[in-house]
Amino acid sequence: MPHITTGPQAATQLHAKTNTRASWCLELELALACTGYDLTNSVFSPDGRNFQVEYAVKAVENGGTSIGIRCKDGVVLAVEKVISSKLLKPGANKRIATIDRHMGAVSSGLVPDGRHFVSRARDEAASWRSVYKTPITVKDLASRMGGYLQAYTLYSSVRPFGITAIVGGWDSELELPVDGQVGEGPSIGAGGKVEGKTYGGPGLYMIEPSGMYWGYYGAATGKGRQTAKAELEKLDLAAGNLSLEDGVKEAARIIYVAHADNKDKEFELEMTWISRLDGPTKGKHQEVPKELLEEAERLAKKHLEGDDDEETKEDDKPAEGDQMEE
Amino acid sequence: MNHLPQAWGRPRDDVYGPYDSSYLQNNGPNQHTQQPIVTGTSVIALKFKDGVVIAADNLASYGSLARFTNVKRLRKFADTSVVGFGGDVSDMQYLDRLLNSLDIDEAYSSAGDTLNAHNLHTYLSKVLYKRRSDFNPLWNQLLVAGLDGEDMPFLASADLLGTTFSSPSLATGFGAHLAQPILRKVAPDEETAAKLSKEDAVQSVKECMKVLFYRDARSLDKYSIAVITKEGIDLKEDEKLEQQSWAFADKIRGYGTQVN
Amino acid sequence: MAMFSQNPLMNGPNYSFNQAPATASDGHKQHGFYPYTDNGGSTLAISGADFTIMAGDTRSTSGYSINTRYKPKVFKIGGTTASQNDATIVLSVVGFAADGEALKERLDAVVKMYRYQHGKPMSVKACAQRLSTILYGKRFFPYYVTAILGGLDEEGKGVVYSYDPVGSYEREMCRAAGAAASLIMPFLDNQVNFKNQYEPESGAGHELQEREKIPLPRGEVEDLVKDAFDSAVERHIEVGDGLQMMIVTKDGIEERYLPLKKD
Repeated sequence: MPHITTGPQAATQLHAKTNTRASWCLELELALACTGYDLTNSVFSPDGRNFQVEYAVKAVENGGTSIGIRCKDGVVLAVEKVISSKLLKPGANKRIATIDRHMGAVSSGLVPDGRHFVSRARDEAASWRSVYKTPITVKDLASRMGGYLQAYTLYSSVRPFGITAIVGGWDSELELPVDGQVGEGPSIGAGGKVEGKTYGGPGLYMIEPSGMYWGYYGAATGKGRQTAKAELEKLDLAAGNLSLEDGVKEAARIIYVAHADNKDKEFELEMTWISRLDGPTKGKHQEVPKELLEEAERLAKKHLEGDDDEETKEDDKPAEGDQMEE
Repeated sequence: MNHLPQAWGRPRDDVYGPYDSSYLQNNGPNQHTQQPIVTGTSVIALKFKDGVVIAADNLASYGSLARFTNVKRLRKFADTSVVGFGGDVSDMQYLDRLLNSLDIDEAYSSAGDTLNAHNLHTYLSKVLYKRRSDFNPLWNQLLVAGLDGEDMPFLASADLLGTTFSSPSLATGFGAHLAQPILRKVAPDEETAAKLSKEDAVQSVKECMKVLFYRDARSLDKYSIAVITKEGIDLKEDEKLEQQSWAFADKIRGYGTQVN
Repeated sequence: MAMFSQNPLMNGPNYSFNQAPATASDGHKQHGFYPYTDNGGSTLAISGADFTIMAGDTRSTSGYSINTRYKPKVFKIGGTTASQNDATIVLSVVGFAADGEALKERLDAVVKMYRYQHGKPMSVKACAQRLSTILYGKRFFPYYVTAILGGLDEEGKGVVYSYDPVGSYEREMCRAAGAAASLIMPFLDNQVNFKNQYEPESGAGHELQEREKIPLPRGEVEDLVKDAFDSAVERHIEVGDGLQMMIVTKDGIEERYLPLKKD
């Protein structure tokens, strides 16, 4: 059922020109692909799409599910790590990376693209520190990385990133010195602290191949994103009541539920978290401790067994569009 | 008219002649550090049965001016070690940033082990030796305190020349003359240090801080002290010298107001 | 400001090193960074028929202060393990300790690489030549150290090579280096090379017969080393605390530590 939105005249003409190829084009999901606008990055199709970006999104949709949950006292990141070979060492080949002390990232899609994303993000975080003498906030990192990914949609010599990345972290509620700074600055008045103003808190952002990024209460991407999003919405994260420890359990459960669509493949659950400064990770991005991870997995499995049929019903229900914007 | 952005807002060459940018050039050789500017005085440290205690006062001097009175000269590293800095404060800040980025890089891999005090000392001494070999020294003498790979107490020194050494007790600057003899009495060798209790070690170090305050004109009665054991780091940055007794000052003769 | 300079006594008399003049030719006084210091101490090596002994005191000094009573100056070179227990070459360095450490680590890396690349341990002769090249490589910013290399030669005889800071070297029976070199070396000339020792009643003046040179047995050499250091400790303030000895034989390297006076 491919249809063409005929806009400007030029577009219609171009399409008419390619009609000779229509026979095999009809088989394609995207009829417009046959116009040749899909072959080069940075070139718009007549109706304003960058096909290379959309193909990158396809790569993401095939990747293992990644999610992030912004809790009241921290952030959880989790990924469904599909086991591609029995010869891989369990627990090795981590997919969630540390960007800075207080921040981690996970991505779905092409793993090497994810690695490059992490490498760049670490450089951005380090350079922010050396310039501003303060740790980068999650928001600023998302902005930097959004800009970086967007640049990969602008040039014909490159392709967009085949990943959607979720970045989570805790911006310190206290002022953190990054070196042996001398003096403490004025306590009030010009340059001093604003009374009653709170700083820092949890941050969760998702960055897509187009370079688009939004802040989320709960983010999901990859193969099981539809199911995961539906589950995340049920948590009423906006209310800000979910504790970090419950968030860990919910994250494990959601990954298990989302995996139900992909049952034939085995997977490993990888989870990290970042708590507030007085929490269990002291503001640092760390792996979820083994005991808690195992407990969360046990509960997740129990949940799946408990209401298996309920889950199948959920899967059939088409979730609303992937993209929250537009 | 020249529309290139580089030409915006500049005097026109055809009216004023070519712009003389010679002052922008850095004529002459590169300038490297020739002397420390804002400085911290002694750092002292002592090993004991199951750890190390280290202390330094909170003063940064500008020559003879007590410039900053709340400077933390003991820096934690990765919850395993403490580095005490004597000498130039800006170089201390540079090294601290370097250690911070090293710590962040180490945390990228989640595989357990981080750098211990021994590794940290090796790293720092190589940085210092490299910089002295470039004739651009980091003007510090530092003590690294913590636990080594076998979880045994570790204490070692490194300075701006890259010279390194280790001992049951160490002291930099004035402390090498005033505190080290006292500490050596408490722990003359490794065997004695390995029997020393934490309480005795802390007591001795505090006593030394007092002696240093009595006699070192570039010192302060506010200081930081850290105890590093297997249980972690206990760092206190707002300590005050207690039970001072200046009675001895009365008997000092030979300089000052009482000449004879 | 003197206390923040690298050497507490920089503006006063220095014990062993002559420091560069602080006054430029125009009479303008300049304070600059001087990249060297003297950490005192002494080393000594004696070769025997089938062994070599390398020894050094363990005191490290800055001016009149003792940095530590245990800072080794004698190292095993080119072993394959962290403990260097399979090494066959020993190196001693005395002078500026940071340079000594750097030199030791470079030579150790080179000898290790030789083993990996050639599948056999490096001979002392080759190592000696290589050490000279390394030292001369920094001819215009020297490693401020006196190095001595020891081991067994291709025939299994004890061998000692001594160096100046810029790589001039020669094979010798024995050598003392460092702060107390001038105290120990004449003693060694007499006791090891039998200088000024003549056959009794062999004549007068040019008729005198020198005592026949024979390599000393190991026990006697160990005693000589101990005596040499005990004497040096009495007369030189930068020498003392402990005596570290490495004895290279065909069975490997034996390490010994003896206390010296700590005053």
